[in-house]
Amino acid sequence: MRLLDAGINKQHIRAVIRRHYYVQKRGWHRWFDVLVWPTVDTVIWGSIGQFVTQQGGPVRSGLPYMLTGILMMHVLYQANISVSTGFMEETWSRNLLNVMVSPVTELDYMIGIVIFGLGKLALGLSTVAIAAAALYSFNILSVGWAIVPIIGILMLVGWCIALFVMGFVLRFGNGAEILAWGVLFVVVALSGVFYPVTALPAAMQPVSQLLPSTHALIAARTVLDGDPLPWSELAKAGVALAALIPLSLAYLNRTLRTFRHRGYVTRYS
Amino acid sequence: MLVARGLRKRFRKTQAVDGVDITVEVGERVALLGANGAGKTTTLLMLLGAITPDEGTIDLLGYRLPHGRSKAMRSVGFSAGYLPLPDRLRVIEVLRVFADFYGVADAERTARAGLERFGISHLANDMASELSSGQRTLVALVKGTMHSPQFLVLDEPTASLDPDVAARARRGLEDLMSADNTSLLVTSHNMTEVERICERVIFISRGTVVADGRPADVATQFGRDSLEAVFLQLASEEDR
Repeated sequence: MRLLDAGINKQHIRAVIRRHYYVQKRGWHRWFDVLVWPTVDTVIWGSIGQFVTQQGGPVRSGLPYMLTGILMMHVLYQANISVSTGFMEETWSRNLLNVMVSPVTELDYMIGIVIFGLGKLALGLSTVAIAAAALYSFNILSVGWAIVPIIGILMLVGWCIALFVMGFVLRFGNGAEILAWGVLFVVVALSGVFYPVTALPAAMQPVSQLLPSTHALIAARTVLDGDPLPWSELAKAGVALAALIPLSLAYLNRTLRTFRHRGYVTRYS
Repeated sequence: MLVARGLRKRFRKTQAVDGVDITVEVGERVALLGANGAGKTTTLLMLLGAITPDEGTIDLLGYRLPHGRSKAMRSVGFSAGYLPLPDRLRVIEVLRVFADFYGVADAERTARAGLERFGISHLANDMASELSSGQRTLVALVKGTMHSPQFLVLDEPTASLDPDVAARARRGLEDLMSADNTSLLVTSHNMTEVERICERVIFISRGTVVADGRPADVATQFGRDSLEAVFLQLASEEDR
């Protein structure tokens, strides 16, 4: 069955959201993703930025850059983790077969976990913003509305990573779930969340230029410098996304076919 | 109701299913029987669209799989005795979620009526992951039947139940099927239960159908006096 061959059913989508809301409500470990890790990251990177500022280091290593960087990283992180762990919840609780033989389509399910993930994304970003304001007196909103399209691009990149991770898990089993975090941190490193990509080893720089997140983060740093939003960087990110989105969807679609063809559902039953 | 023709499925070097034909008419109750590894579950999962056959066609409630899967599944119920229920949800929450998956209009009321049917209303607010295996099996039966499916597929539905609970499960199922003229396809290792519930049995051995008919006729075909004896004969042949 192709991923996008059926219509959208709101009742299915609401049920998927409710199902994950129940898990979130009762799974205390799930709150680490939206409350604890964002706070810990803000303290670590905020303190590094504070220290650099106190030492009179380069402005671009200072507090606003680090805190904005951690906010951007959490857009990628939350977008990816909320969707990929939403799917993995079905494999962890061996509920995948029950879902697969129900009328819920892959598209309904995806939309449900993406909408639920948006709520978690908003919570995670709010945690970073509140921690930055409370601990370092830094108002992330001072960056301005230019940050909205940048966040939008990073969110899409996070979802694309989640699609690849889901494909890996379908293809290789639960052992591949480590990639939910692994792939994310590779992308974070290559995209230059806390540094310009010119600081990367020369061999890695061409690869980083292919990532939409790299251009979104260049745009974020430019705005932080007080310059206008560089639309050319956003356009480059848009072009890269135009390739990444169909690629990730095609990969997931292919692994779903393989999953059904090879009977991998029996791994979870 | 169900017409499957020429189903074949190979996993690497194993031919799990090799040319299986299965039909189930409206209101008919059919058992799919065979020893472990005979190809029952693979066949069942192909009929439900969870595994794609290498060859063959499946028409379920007038929809050709795999493309009509979602529409067909609205009127199909599925329950497997071996599947757990989702973690961190109460029983009533699990049932409400699945009622919505199956397009039930009043999910809460329907879920509670389903619990009532199987005599387990007292479990509504228990955590699904903390149920005994027997309780979990009954809740799974509610999940599979509360939307009044036209076609019910049960995989080992009473495997973990005490005899009295199994009898309650059978009564609940029989009430439902009589009221709605539901078709049934069930796998079970309990031949007594099969003879009681089903009017037709299909034996699978080494991925092929070796018998298809009324329980008494199938026993006669193998020169045996019961389905149990047929099962044991086929299982021992499969072990060789």
